[in-house]
Amino acid sequence: MKNKYLFVTILLVAMLLAGMGFTKVYTYYEGTPADQEISIVTSFYPMYIATLNIVGDTEGVKLSNLSEPQTGCLHDYQLTPADMKLLSTADVFVVNGGGIESFLSDVADSYENLDIINACDGLELLDDNAHAWMNISDYSKQVEHICDALCEIDPIHAETYETNAHTYLHKLEHLMEEAQELKESAEGEKIIIFHEAYDYVAKEYGMEVVYSMDLDEERQISAGEVAELVDEINSHNIRIVLAEELYGKSMGDTVEKETDATVYYLDSLTRGDYEADSYLNGMEENIHILKEALNP
Amino acid sequence: MLTFFTEWWFYGFMRNAFLAVLIITPLFGLLGTMIVNNKMAFFSDALGHSALTGIALGVVFGAVDTTIPMLIFAVLFALLLNYISSRATASRDTIISVFSSASIAIGLAILSKGGNFSKYSSLLVGDILSITPSEIIYLIIIFGATMIFWFVAFNRLNAISLHPTLAKSRRIPVKLLENVFAVFIALIVMLSIKWVGILIINALLILPAASSRNISVNMREYHFFSILFSMFSGFLGLVISYFTNVATGPTIVIVAALIYLFTYLYGRKRIR
Repeated sequence: MKNKYLFVTILLVAMLLAGMGFTKVYTYYEGTPADQEISIVTSFYPMYIATLNIVGDTEGVKLSNLSEPQTGCLHDYQLTPADMKLLSTADVFVVNGGGIESFLSDVADSYENLDIINACDGLELLDDNAHAWMNISDYSKQVEHICDALCEIDPIHAETYETNAHTYLHKLEHLMEEAQELKESAEGEKIIIFHEAYDYVAKEYGMEVVYSMDLDEERQISAGEVAELVDEINSHNIRIVLAEELYGKSMGDTVEKETDATVYYLDSLTRGDYEADSYLNGMEENIHILKEALNP
Repeated sequence: MLTFFTEWWFYGFMRNAFLAVLIITPLFGLLGTMIVNNKMAFFSDALGHSALTGIALGVVFGAVDTTIPMLIFAVLFALLLNYISSRATASRDTIISVFSSASIAIGLAILSKGGNFSKYSSLLVGDILSITPSEIIYLIIIFGATMIFWFVAFNRLNAISLHPTLAKSRRIPVKLLENVFAVFIALIVMLSIKWVGILIINALLILPAASSRNISVNMREYHFFSILFSMFSGFLGLVISYFTNVATGPTIVIVAALIYLFTYLYGRKRIR
């Protein structure tokens, strides 16, 4: 009888200590943020890369990203306790806006002192679609906007921000020129897209989207939709379908089997490594793929 | 080291979560004992699944707060399930399975319309931020009601659990008590499902009681250990999830499952 209570006590105390111990070790290795002068948090990958290029390695500025690298688009993202913690110590929160961050209103309510920079402010968005970073010129405007807003909030580092942003915008301009060259052969081409983000790609090159199927993280496709899609491809003589590798692959295979269209997998630039040039490299690759698609 | 234990207290959402755990885990432990005794694990699982349909119906009728439609639906669902399984010729687990999968299917069908299911995916794994002060008030009410019910009806419930026919002969309203018990399970499951998650809520009802059963020899111990394990898993899980950035519901369940494992080993050793 006594043994049992002793056993339960030992068990629970041991679990408590083990749990706390491992957690302590875990948080130790994750690293605790040092006291920085200004802490900027970005909502997801494209915003992180954009802000990273503006901030660079400026002394006294800490940049962190909210979601884990692999989250992709944020439509279904839930803030974790760690995110809430991060936001509670942040000074600035950079978001894409336009409805991508569904949790934004909660954040604004909970942290009234947090400056929120909405990168889509002043952009002309497509209907119900805020994947503006997929369009290089829109993305450039986002970078400009983030830079302006940051300079206003943190005037001490404004000069560095502006220089960095200038360099980055220059690189983006170079990319835009490449895209422009491609536009001549792309203009008016009818395409089908499997991710609403590619509406912005179509906009960049003046291509016409005849059918859009949004294959997302948890989207279930009915047989009727597949049939409709195949009909669309055949009736419009579509040659090019743009899809995202992760969610569009199985659908892409089906389309290639059933029709003469070729599926090209573009990078939606929502995940990847945390290098400053990731966007440039990803876009470069996308342009390369499109070039191949248009001039086989 | 002190900040390690106190830091989380400064966040409003953690305080809400802490209160919710404080109120709901003893209830899980308490009701769990009877669920395990009556072999109703599958029944409570089905109730959890019915939350999906409840929320879906709430969305269809345009309710802003989906808690009320969810509660109403779950109560009806529990009563209907009880009624049909006492009538039908097929075995109870078959009937429950039919209901469980049907309600999941209806919920998924409605919520996935237009490809929007991702909006509700937090229901599956739980979202600790969904605990609002108004929900804590619901929890306090249900806590009081359950306590009263337990003190008034426990002996009779226990009699039913041991021998339904004998209980009936002693003029105990078997049907009524069974239904009330099912309604209580339904209410508690529904009120905690948003932060625990549909996929694992049943584990919280079953594991503490099952662990307790491994080592208890009488009703008093059974209750005591069940509530102790339930509250312990709740707190430890909450704190660990806070520091390690893992969803709270699953963490609590992992702790509870470890307790089960150890008590099982201990209990088995003693029997030999």
